[in-house]
Amino acid sequence: MTYFERAMLAAIVIGAVGGFVGCLVVLRRRTFFAQALTHGTYPGAVAAAALGVSVPLGAAAASVVLVLVMTGIARVRNQGAQVAAGIVLTGGFAAGAILAAIVPSLPVQPESLLVGSILTVTDGDILLAALVGVVALLLVVLFGRSIVFSTFDQAGFRAAGYREWPIELLVLGLTAATVVSALPAVGAILAIALIAAPAAAARIVTSTYRGMLVVAPVIGAASGVLGVLASRAFAIAAGPAIVLTATAFLVIALGGSKLRALPWRASAIPVETAEDARIA
Amino acid sequence: MSPADALFGAFSLPFMWRALVVMLVLSVIAGVVGVLVNLRSLEFITDGLTHAVFPGLAVGLAVGGASGVLPGAAVAALIGAVLLTWLMRSGIASDAGIAVVLTAAFSVGVIVVSKSDDYAGALETLLFGRVLTIPPSDVVPLVVVSAIALLLVALTAKQQVFRAFDAAGSRAAGNSAFALDLTLNVAVALVVVAGASTVGSLLVLALLVVPGAVARLLTGRLWLLFPLAGVFAALASWFGLAAGFAASVGAGIDLPAGSTIVAVFVVAYGVVLVGRLIRDAAVRRAQGRPTAPGEAKSSVAASGEGAA
Repeated sequence: MTYFERAMLAAIVIGAVGGFVGCLVVLRRRTFFAQALTHGTYPGAVAAAALGVSVPLGAAAASVVLVLVMTGIARVRNQGAQVAAGIVLTGGFAAGAILAAIVPSLPVQPESLLVGSILTVTDGDILLAALVGVVALLLVVLFGRSIVFSTFDQAGFRAAGYREWPIELLVLGLTAATVVSALPAVGAILAIALIAAPAAAARIVTSTYRGMLVVAPVIGAASGVLGVLASRAFAIAAGPAIVLTATAFLVIALGGSKLRALPWRASAIPVETAEDARIA
Repeated sequence: MSPADALFGAFSLPFMWRALVVMLVLSVIAGVVGVLVNLRSLEFITDGLTHAVFPGLAVGLAVGGASGVLPGAAVAALIGAVLLTWLMRSGIASDAGIAVVLTAAFSVGVIVVSKSDDYAGALETLLFGRVLTIPPSDVVPLVVVSAIALLLVALTAKQQVFRAFDAAGSRAAGNSAFALDLTLNVAVALVVVAGASTVGSLLVLALLVVPGAVARLLTGRLWLLFPLAGVFAALASWFGLAAGFAASVGAGIDLPAGSTIVAVFVVAYGVVLVGRLIRDAAVRRAQGRPTAPGEAKSSVAASGEGAA
């Protein structure tokens, strides 16, 4: 495989996985949580790079800690999930920057961890992303029913006697795994776009949950391919190109739905009585 | 180096003194604005705005040089504020929409910056700031921009608080929800503009999020939140600058100033959080277990639901 083919493959796999898991994230309104994870895992990535172990491993370790901290803060009175995400996001980022500054000879550029470099992903990175995708697919096939129930009717789910936290933990775990596997390619800042944009576009295009789970990965993979091609054609950074392609899909979907909502085939309102005529 | 040296002596150096003045102005104003951010749960929008100013900074720098940075950032932030206000109200997957806006804006910025020579340097400056090397000519515009933000919030504070606690009541009383949202978002955007070009977008986000959260932990009284957040932000900025100075000059560890200040903010938040939890536990014990275990669990579940 040439480096370009490998980048293509990585873009397809990571785009598809991001789109798939992104559906759960967007529907359950955990986008800010995922955003905090992407930023918060930065110190883990820096520490892993400094220690010479694989970057996803460090990011995964950091994400476990972050999930615990965020769940803890979110339960404190007067604080809540948004505050928890904000604190973890800024704290994690600052810790990463301090680590990057005091570790004298970091083998990788800190910037490449921030915006990613899809042209230098390894086969292992692609394999990890594919593995996350397979696990996500399996879990959704196995527990899809419970996930849908708890997502769309939280109160009903609890009232029916189910426990909320296993589903929440499952989705948070999948989110963290996706973020970690996307880090090498698109970096800490841009990873959230691959999770949010395809799913949001799919949500506009389709009206069913299953349809969304099919359309979002397709949009994600397409964004990856087109983004990598655009990056070569215009000589721009690949990560931003992928993000902007995914954004373009969302804008097209949004524009399409707005256009469809316009009264194209305006028919005259039938007037039967004098009262109707007065209102019309 | 003694603690007194770091806390007081360090600021006799002109660049440290300037950094302290800038940080105090920014942190007090951001703390006050941040209380409203906290009450309205606008943390994610704030994060979006800190990223949205990036293309403005990059384009401003490319077009007008150093003097183009502030106008560029201001234009980008105002566009961002209007766009995010509209997204928030349209209700279509609003948090996903924010995420897309912020990463798209950031991507545009990265592409613009990557066309310039000093790519890595510009990205780092934007994210982590250059607290200690703020040029003297930047201080006045910064103070003016953040003063406008404070004015916007001060003029509408009562209505904003009303809207935060009773959105329907506020609308019924004749307040325009869109105007209030836009005013607050513009105020946040202005604080972000003032901060992003000087102290870095990461630091601005911390300034806007952490003091408000700390104030909420410290008191339940509404109008105490604002002074508490301001005082906390000022103290944490001061200690953060002093800690960074002590580490760099005293111990020879080259800590980045902006990140050190953020770290002090977050650590202080952690201390206050733990203190609050201990106090709550003590109060519960002093009351002689007034709540049965089952009740306690259900109240936790309810607060968890409110958070989600």
